[in-house]
Amino acid sequence: MSNSYNKPVLPKADSKKVSIVVDGADVEVPEGTNLVEALKTIGIDTPHFCYHQDLPVAGNCRQCMVETDGPRGMGLAIACYTPVRPGMKVATDRSSEKVKTARKAVMEFLLANHPLDCPICDKAGECTLQDNYMSSGKHESRMREEIGKQYKGAPEHRHLDAKGQDRGGKHIDLGPTVILDQERCILCDRCTRFMRDVAGDEQLYIAARGDHAFITTFPGQPLQHDYDLNVTDICPVGALTGKHFRFQQRVWLLSKTETIAPDDSLGANITVEHHDGHVWRIMPRRHPDVNKSWISNATRLLYQTLSENRLTGGSFRGADVPLADAVERARELVHGARKVALVASGHLTLEDNAALLALAESLGSRAEVFGGSWLAVGAPDGIARSGDPVANRLGCTLLGISDNLSDLVRRAKEFDCLVVAGHDLWAADAERAKSLSVIPERIALSAWHDATAQASTLAVGIRAWAEVRGSMINVQGRIQRLQAAPTAPTPDLEPAWQVISRLGHLGWTSEVDAFRFAQGRIPALSGLNYRTIGSQGRILEGVAP
Amino acid sequence: MSHHPVHVEQPSDAEILPRLETPGVLSRVEELIRRYPVKRAALLQVLWLAQETLGWLPNVAIRWSAEKCEVSPVHAYGVSLFYTMYKKVPTGRFFLQICQNVSCHIQGAEAVIAHAEKVLGVDSHGGNTEDGLFTLLRVECLGACGNGPVLQVNDSFATDVVDGELAMPIGVGLDPERFDRIVEWCRRRAAELPEEPVRDALGDILVGTDGHPGATGASAEVQGSYAPPPPALAVTASNVEEGRTKVTWKAAPETTVLHLETRQGGGEFAEVASLSGKDKEWIGELPAGAEIRIVAETAGVRAKPSNIAKGIA
Amino acid sequence: MATLTVTQNFGKGARDLEVYRSLGGYGSISSRLFDLSQFELIDLVSRSGLRGRGGAGFPTGMKWSFVPRNSGKPVYLVVNADEGEPGTFKDHVLMQEDPHRLIEGMIVCGWALGVRTAYIYVRGEFLPAIETLNAALKQAYAAGLLGKNIGGSGYSLDIYVHRGAGAYICGEETALINSLEGFKGQPRLKPPFPAVSGAFASPTCVNNVETLMALPWILEHGPEAYQALGTPKSGGTKVFSVSGDVKRPGVYEVPMGTPLMELLESPELCQGIVGELKGVIPGGSSSPVLTAEEARKANLDYEALAALKTMLGSGAVVAFNTERSAVGMLTSLTRFYAHESCGQCTPCREGTGYADRIMKTIASGKGREGDLDHMLDLAANFSYTTICPLAIADAWPIENFIGKFRPEFEAEVAKNPDRGSPRVTKDFRPGAFW
Repeated sequence: MSNSYNKPVLPKADSKKVSIVVDGADVEVPEGTNLVEALKTIGIDTPHFCYHQDLPVAGNCRQCMVETDGPRGMGLAIACYTPVRPGMKVATDRSSEKVKTARKAVMEFLLANHPLDCPICDKAGECTLQDNYMSSGKHESRMREEIGKQYKGAPEHRHLDAKGQDRGGKHIDLGPTVILDQERCILCDRCTRFMRDVAGDEQLYIAARGDHAFITTFPGQPLQHDYDLNVTDICPVGALTGKHFRFQQRVWLLSKTETIAPDDSLGANITVEHHDGHVWRIMPRRHPDVNKSWISNATRLLYQTLSENRLTGGSFRGADVPLADAVERARELVHGARKVALVASGHLTLEDNAALLALAESLGSRAEVFGGSWLAVGAPDGIARSGDPVANRLGCTLLGISDNLSDLVRRAKEFDCLVVAGHDLWAADAERAKSLSVIPERIALSAWHDATAQASTLAVGIRAWAEVRGSMINVQGRIQRLQAAPTAPTPDLEPAWQVISRLGHLGWTSEVDAFRFAQGRIPALSGLNYRTIGSQGRILEGVAP
Repeated sequence: MSHHPVHVEQPSDAEILPRLETPGVLSRVEELIRRYPVKRAALLQVLWLAQETLGWLPNVAIRWSAEKCEVSPVHAYGVSLFYTMYKKVPTGRFFLQICQNVSCHIQGAEAVIAHAEKVLGVDSHGGNTEDGLFTLLRVECLGACGNGPVLQVNDSFATDVVDGELAMPIGVGLDPERFDRIVEWCRRRAAELPEEPVRDALGDILVGTDGHPGATGASAEVQGSYAPPPPALAVTASNVEEGRTKVTWKAAPETTVLHLETRQGGGEFAEVASLSGKDKEWIGELPAGAEIRIVAETAGVRAKPSNIAKGIA
Repeated sequence: MATLTVTQNFGKGARDLEVYRSLGGYGSISSRLFDLSQFELIDLVSRSGLRGRGGAGFPTGMKWSFVPRNSGKPVYLVVNADEGEPGTFKDHVLMQEDPHRLIEGMIVCGWALGVRTAYIYVRGEFLPAIETLNAALKQAYAAGLLGKNIGGSGYSLDIYVHRGAGAYICGEETALINSLEGFKGQPRLKPPFPAVSGAFASPTCVNNVETLMALPWILEHGPEAYQALGTPKSGGTKVFSVSGDVKRPGVYEVPMGTPLMELLESPELCQGIVGELKGVIPGGSSSPVLTAEEARKANLDYEALAALKTMLGSGAVVAFNTERSAVGMLTSLTRFYAHESCGQCTPCREGTGYADRIMKTIASGKGREGDLDHMLDLAANFSYTTICPLAIADAWPIENFIGKFRPEFEAEVAKNPDRGSPRVTKDFRPGAFW
């Protein structure tokens, strides 16, 4: 039973340093943290299964053994539950035979009832058990057939394999999103702690006891939660796998691009994992102050939309046209118009919106910029969503774009050209959007064949969020970077800022030009560049509402 | 019965809930919950109550218990499978558990179990006789090792039948003959009584208690509110040099202030020094022959005075 | 007749309050108790030399002194009556025979620690004892010995019986607390220790039944008298559960330091061994077994047994004669510990089951050379890497039964004609298990 109040203390940038002795050497580590974290700061990785930075400490896997000094001399202790004390002595496997033996022993126990089916296991390649076996196991198996393995699970899930061996619960359909392979489970308790302490909805529990204890939901009740796919990330073995990714790709083939989620103004940090021009999955990327290690199922499944219904070229009055022609025609329309309405979008990056502002500037009094969104704003869920689906809302506000879409609706007749950039107005509120149809020339810059693209006279394809570089400012006032994965459906698609730059003859050659323009509008950005924003983003002083 | 899950046909809500949602059962639940500061703590007892009422624990009853104790259904399910005594399958009227652990083992438990299997014609891993009378189960230690091999018939320990009643005479263990007598007793009882009376394992509603002080509706009482503070103990005085006396004592760790008091010639005690609760000794000038005592104070409440020490002349 | 401090009311019908009172019961629930401050009472118990009778033998006075007072939280007393160690049945009998003495002891402890609510955690199998306790509690409440303002002292105490449901591990105090709180009975990580943050995250004292039942006598006769009954380091008397091959198994109270053989052979006690003595488990199934030769040298106190590399434990003496097979006994013990492992931490969860399956393989005639050493290696490995001592409780019998009766185990392995064949690894292929 984990003590649910034992949240680990993690090192912070301003943590006080104390000196301790590790393997005979004096080192400085943050005070008060546990030894797993402290050793990590000096470059020593401690193998573990049950410990997770964002979950209460359970201390049940016993893999992270180190020796520490106590009243009775040096003795074994689990690193994840031992806080740093000034002056303490620690011995890791680099200097202590006892630690080495203990870790090896624990590894033998873990593998005693674990199947040897790595080649057909979906977790292979990112399996903690494999990694830790290589770092601290590497023992010769002493198991043999007469002794046998104890497989676990509810009787209705019992699975006999081709050799007639009882493999316990195999491919159990836990719910709409997750599959459980009971025999691989090492009972680290992470998934149950996640559901209880993070999701706040205890749907998983380890039932029974001893070596036939097993993970289960209440009989007949599915595992169903907006965040339940996170259990597949934190599962250290191949017991819990997501239906969306199961057997789709071997993980070692995947390349990773660090970016942020575009579907919520918290801007959950994610990694887009792609291979061969396709995005295969989205994984959370840990950020201690944004989304911890979690993302919602909705964010995680966003990648599926990246290959669906994409606008790969242009479309003029219902007929497909080549992209370059579409851009050229759009430029003509914008420049030939009497009065142009430019609709900015909080779904696009700061750079894209900066380009729109620059376009407006170049058109002078002929252009007017509108902003805002018709999407409903919900409440924060306290995990990885703020509830506001407009990811870059704060960025737009800081650029000086007002929330005035309703003005546009009211004054639609004043305009003879409408440019909507990455903003599906017709899907958000078809009724209100209908009144924009009085504008004779409607240009949509869109990554998808969405309702707005279809309602437009001219649609121009652009890159989607996973394929662009840029930045967004989240609801906390944190500027965060988007990175481009090489997965655009056709290579000639351009990011929105670039298309807009062409419309306005801005001559911008990279998103850096757009960022500089944004810096001119937002004083808090001064002195920053993409490198200083970094992978963890930067809080902009005094901008959060 | 076991913490190995067993597949069993589950009854419907409509079959089970009316038997649990009776005024009698509900008032028992309420009383059980009042015994603890949090409802969750009553879970084991409420599961027992459901099992007493139904004879076993179908999933519906587990979900019902979870609702009563405000825990998630799967928590209650996991807990019910952790403990071996919750019956996840219905058993026969007489649930015979024979201990196979070490003390019983060396007294011949295996032979008795083999005999029982033969007599009843069922296996000893939860086998049921066809007449629905017996369920036979080999179990680990039952805590009556002096009577090994020992048997439990439902919740009664039994190694023999004495004067027509199940009994566990001192030092008497089960053997095949005694087992036969017990089986015979069961059969006779089945013929006489239509069903086994329910034994109350949880105690009636106790008179004189209002439940746990921290339970819903009452405020938690902390220790200081009903127990006096500890006094200082073992006060001694000794001369360190001419005219200076050293006083030592023992004080409880939570003591906040120590009042050192003296008197001469049987008068009133007067405070000489007010010390911190952490102080261990005091050295100062005291008149020869003074009587010394210490009054400890904890969080503003004065304890009774310590013993009286005599200052040395 | 030796002085009895706990079992003196056996066979006298003391379950009834009136009888208990006529035997001097509840004598301590008077000014004798309530004039003592908590501090003095704890000091008094420390001086008596009373040590925890549940198995670990931790000094009771010291344990009480760790419970912080005025922490702003209620203090709980939880009586550990989850007697589950194979061989132990003294608490079962104590509660059946003299429930009021336990209640009296709880009032004494309750006063010492400022407890308002106490629980008696009784193992689920002891339904008759639970019924006895509930009846006694009812009488005590009716007589004003429990509830509000006990005997006009201003002190209030409520006691409830909490029925366990079948888990040996709940005898471990933090597992017991988890079980009391409605969780699976799995031990907690320490610190915090229960004395600081136990039941309901409040200071909690967990004491064994026998420990608390010794308190009325100590209060009546003084701590020095109690201490004097035993040895200098192990004060008082101890109740032993004797089972196995003795003529009269049962529960016996003898002074600490009594020779083991006196307990087994005295005509007033167990009256001798049935057959020829082969060995004795001195302190419950988890304590290292003694050979007959060692048993003849053993005295029943904490230090003397520790010197023989075993322990007094809960005082469960299992004597066995030369007809009993060490293989059979160890098989039944490894099965027990695999069955009772709570499944929380890896080495115990996987290791106890692994050792049990090897033991079963040996016992069924399929053992191979090296299996015994493999068992010993596993036992050594799971004994120091776990959260709680259950794994050690399995490791000690494995190490000692195999260590002290190795020829028997080797003879068992020798029954397998294939005992020497190496482990087959050549047909390894993906998807296979071993």
